Amino acid sequence: MNPTENKTMQCGCDAPVAGIGGEGAAATIDASCRVPLLALFGGAALWLVLGLALGLAAVMTFHKPDMFADCAFLTFGRAQAAANDLLLYGFAIPAALGVMLWILARLSQAPLALPIVPVVAANLWHLGVFIGTATILGGGSTGHPWLEYPRAAAVLLFAAFMLIAVCAVATMGSRTNGELYPSHWFFFAAILWFVWSYGSANIFLQSHQQPRGVVQAVIDWWLTNNLLFVWLALAGIGIAFYFLPKIAGKPLASRGYALFGLLTLVFFGSWVGIPQSAPVPAWLPTVSAYAGLLSLVSIVAIAIVTKKTVCGACVKCSGGPFCFIKFGMLSFVVSSLLYVSEFCPRYSRVLEFTWFNFGVTQWQLLGFAGMILCGAIYEILPRVMGKELPFTKLAKLNFFLFAGGTLLFVIPLLIGGVEQGMKLRDANIPFADASAVAMKFLRISTTGQLLVLLGALCLLLNILVMTLQWKLGLVKTVVGVVKDSLAEGSAYQPLPCDKEAKP
Amino acid sequence: MSDENKNCCSPETGEPTATRSAAPMWIIVVTLVLLFTGGLFLDSHSGWFDKNVYAPYKSQEQLEAFQPKSGAAAAMARGKSVYEGVCGICHGSDGAGKPGQFPALAGSEWVTAKGCNRLAHIPLAGVAGAIQVGGKDWNLNMAAMGAALPDEDVAAVLTYIRSSWGNKAEAVTADDVKKVRAEIGKSPQPYSGAQLKAMPE
Amino acid sequence: MKTGFSVFLAAFVALGASWFGLVYGPLKQLGVATETKVLQSDAKWPLQRTGDATLGLQVYRSAGCAACHTEQVRQTGAANVLTITEIGSHQPTDLKGFINSLAGSVTELMNSSNAVAANLAGWNGELPKVLYSGADDTVVSMLGDKLKAVGVKTEARVVATGADIARGWGTRQSVAADYLYDAPVQLGNLRAGPDLATIGVRAPDVNWQLQHLYAPRSLVKNSTMPAFRFLFAVQKIGAQPAPDALVLPKEFAPADGYEVVPTAEAKQLAAYLLTLKNNAPLYEAPFTPITAAK
Repeated sequence: MNPTENKTMQCGCDAPVAGIGGEGAAATIDASCRVPLLALFGGAALWLVLGLALGLAAVMTFHKPDMFADCAFLTFGRAQAAANDLLLYGFAIPAALGVMLWILARLSQAPLALPIVPVVAANLWHLGVFIGTATILGGGSTGHPWLEYPRAAAVLLFAAFMLIAVCAVATMGSRTNGELYPSHWFFFAAILWFVWSYGSANIFLQSHQQPRGVVQAVIDWWLTNNLLFVWLALAGIGIAFYFLPKIAGKPLASRGYALFGLLTLVFFGSWVGIPQSAPVPAWLPTVSAYAGLLSLVSIVAIAIVTKKTVCGACVKCSGGPFCFIKFGMLSFVVSSLLYVSEFCPRYSRVLEFTWFNFGVTQWQLLGFAGMILCGAIYEILPRVMGKELPFTKLAKLNFFLFAGGTLLFVIPLLIGGVEQGMKLRDANIPFADASAVAMKFLRISTTGQLLVLLGALCLLLNILVMTLQWKLGLVKTVVGVVKDSLAEGSAYQPLPCDKEAKP
Repeated sequence: MSDENKNCCSPETGEPTATRSAAPMWIIVVTLVLLFTGGLFLDSHSGWFDKNVYAPYKSQEQLEAFQPKSGAAAAMARGKSVYEGVCGICHGSDGAGKPGQFPALAGSEWVTAKGCNRLAHIPLAGVAGAIQVGGKDWNLNMAAMGAALPDEDVAAVLTYIRSSWGNKAEAVTADDVKKVRAEIGKSPQPYSGAQLKAMPE
Repeated sequence: MKTGFSVFLAAFVALGASWFGLVYGPLKQLGVATETKVLQSDAKWPLQRTGDATLGLQVYRSAGCAACHTEQVRQTGAANVLTITEIGSHQPTDLKGFINSLAGSVTELMNSSNAVAANLAGWNGELPKVLYSGADDTVVSMLGDKLKAVGVKTEARVVATGADIARGWGTRQSVAADYLYDAPVQLGNLRAGPDLATIGVRAPDVNWQLQHLYAPRSLVKNSTMPAFRFLFAVQKIGAQPAPDALVLPKEFAPADGYEVVPTAEAKQLAAYLLTLKNNAPLYEAPFTPITAAK
C-alpha cells in the first residue's frame, strides 16, 4: 500500500483535530503535569549546566595540564566521568521521562495518573545523581565507564525510574481511544529497556561477587550501547515522532515504516557495542559488527519517516522548537551512522582509542538527545505553565548556541580522532605526534563546548524564572486569599481557577 | 506565509496522527540481503564461538598453525616428515605395513620395547633373514634405510614411530643413535632376528 | 501494533535475546574462567597481585586513569618467521642461489618462492637475515630442515604483528585471561596517553613512575598528562632527607628546604603499574617466547 502523502494539506488552525475535547481538556491535562515536569525539567537543566561546566573544566587539563594538579576532585579522570554521567543520567534521562509523561497524558487525552508519584521520583532521581556525582569527584567511582555511580545512587535511580514507569503505565491505561500511536511503542520499549538493562548491569557489576575479568567490560559495553544508542534513540525518536507531525500539521509519514524502524532498532541495535579489538573471543566483536551493519537499515527507515513527515510542511521555525527537533533528528541520523561505523572492522582499526568515540557520544547526547529534549521542553513548558516563556529571545539564541556549539564541539573531535587514529596505526610515527595532532583540534572543540554551555544557561534561566514566577504567583494567590478572607470576615471566597492555556 | 515568530498552528491542533501505510518492500529486501551478507561475515570471522579464537585468528586450525613448535613438537614434526619420505613407502603412513611383505610398526614389540637399542640397530644396519614380529614369522630383507640420515633424523623418526598409531614408548635421543652408530661401525651387515634378540634391550 | 502488550513482547524478546547473547553468553564462557598456563611452560597466568599493587588498582580506578590510558594491546596478524643465524662456510651468493632453486623446485615451497627471493635480494651476508615471514608454518619447517642439512643454522619463530606491537607496547595482543584478577577491569577507551599493558616491562623503575606521576613533563616533554601532585606531600626536610623523597630536576623541585614525598597512594599506584606485564605467550595468543641465549 503506497503511503498517501497529503502534500496539499493546509497548514493552519483549521487542520483536522483528532478528537480532542476542546481547549479546556488540554489545559487540564497540562495543569496535571505541571509540578512533576517542573521537578524533572528543573533538575535536568541544572545538571546539564553543571555537566557541561565540569566537562569544560576536565578538558582544560589538555590545554593547561597543571591546572588542577593539586585538586584531586577536578582531575581529568574524575571530572570527565562525572560530566558524562551528568549529561546522561542528570539531564537526558529525567528530561526525556518528563516529556514522555506529558506526551502519554496528551495522547491518552486524560490527566496524568498519580501525579504525586513522578514528583517523588524526580526528587529521588536528583538525589541519586547528586550522590553519584559527589562520589565520583571524591574518588569513589566504580571504575566502569557510564556506570560510575555507587550502589546507593544506582538504587535511587532505579527506584525513581520504576516509580515513573508505574505512572506512565497508569496514564497509558487510562486512555480512552484504543489504538496506539507510534510514540507509544517507542516509549513502552524505552521503559522496559532502562529497567532491564540498567538493573541487570548494576546487579552484576555492583554485587559483592562481580563476574571475574573481562566479562565486567563486556557487560559495561552492553549497557553503554543500550543506553547511549538504543535508549536515547527510543526516547528521542518517540518524542520527535510526536512533535514533528504536530507542529508541521501533517500526519506522521507511515505507521508501518515507523514500526519497521522500531523493530529493527530494538532487535539489531541492542547487539552493537563490543569494540572490534576487545580482548574477548572473536565471536563477540563479530556479532557486534554484524548487528551494526543491520542497524543501518533502522537508521535509514527512521530517516525516511522523518524526511517524509517534515518535508512539505509550511512551517518556519527560526529557532523555535521545530528547529530544535529537526536538528535533533538530523543529528540522530549522522551520529548513529558514525557510531555504527566504529564497529565496522575496517574503520575501527583507525577509529579505536581516539577522540572519535568521545565526539560521537557527545553528538548523541547533546546534538540528538539534547536538542530534541530542549525543543520539547520549550514546546511543553508554555502549555503546562499556562504562560509564555519569560525569555523567548534567549530560547531562540539557545537553538543557535546549541546547534553551532555542538557542531563546533563535535566535528573537530571527529576529524582529530581520525587523524590521530591514522597516525597511531603507523608505528614509525612517535606517539607524541599522534597526540599532538589531536590537541590542535581539541582547541577548536573546547570553544564549541563553551557555546553549548552558554546555550544550556539560557535553558536553565528560562526554566528557573518560570518556576519562580509560578511559585511567586502561588504565594501571591494564597496571600491574597488570606487577606481577602480576613478583610471580608467569614465570607467564603472560591479560589481563582488556573488561567486557560494561552498560545 | 505564516507568522514568523510563532509555530504555524497556534493554539492546539490536537494530537498527531499517522498514515496507515506499511513499510515499502525494498527496505525489507535490503534487510534480508544484509542479513545474508552479514551472516557470511559472521561465518568467516567468528571462530564459531570458540573461546580460544581471538581476532585476527579466524579458526582453531589457524591458531594451531601459529603455535610455536617447541622441542618435543618439533621433533615429532620432523620425525613425521622423515618417516613419510623414507619409511612410510613400505611400512605405510598408518604404520600397518603390508601383510606378507612389510611388518606393521603399529603394535610391534620391537618398536615399543622399553629400551631403544635393538630398535636403533634396524634402520642403521638393516634386517636380513628370519625375524618374529607380533607372533608371526617373517623372512625380511630390509636395507639400512637410516644409514645415510643424520643422527637427529633417525632419533626423530624412531621417536615418531614409538608414539604414533597407539604405540606408547619413550623418545629416542640423537645421542642414543650416535652410540649405536659408533658401535656398529661404518658398513655393518644387516642383522637377523636372532642377532637382534641377543642384544641388550 | 494494536495493543501495548504486543509492543512489550517485541521489546522483551529483543532485549532478552541481546541479554542472552552479550551478557549471559560471555558470563558462561569467560566468567567461569580460571587460571591458564603459559605456553610451553608450567607457569600459571595471570600472576596474582599482592600488597600495594592490589591497592594500587583501586587508586588507578579512583583517579580515573582509564580515561586517558588503555590497558590492552592490539594485534592485527601473526607470522611464522624463519631467520638465518649462521651460514657456516657458505658464501652468501651461493647460498642465495641454492635457496632460490630450492624454493623453486620443492612443491610446498613454490608459493613462497617469490617472497623468499624478495627477502634475499640484495643480501650481502649480514646476519641475522629474515628469510621468510608469513602464514605458512610448513614452509618454515621444511626450509629450515633443508638448510640445516647443508649446515646453515636457522631459527623459526612465531611473531605477533601489529602497530601496537611494532611500537614496542607489547609482544602479543591482550586476551581475556590477562584480566582475570582485575577488579574492576580498567581497559580504557582513549589513548590520550600511551597504552599501559606492558608498562611494567617498559618502565620498571619505581622512581621513574613516581617522578612521572608528580611531574610528567620532567620526563616526557610536551606531555599533556596532568601532574598528580595531590598524591604527594611537600614537606620540610627534617634532620635528614626522607629516604623515599623524589629526586627532581630544578624546574620541578620544590622550594629550598622542602622535599617531595610520595604518599601511600602514590606508592601503591606505582607498585600496580609495575605489575602490568602482558608478556607471557598463551595458547590463544601465541608467540615464540624469547629464551636466553644458549
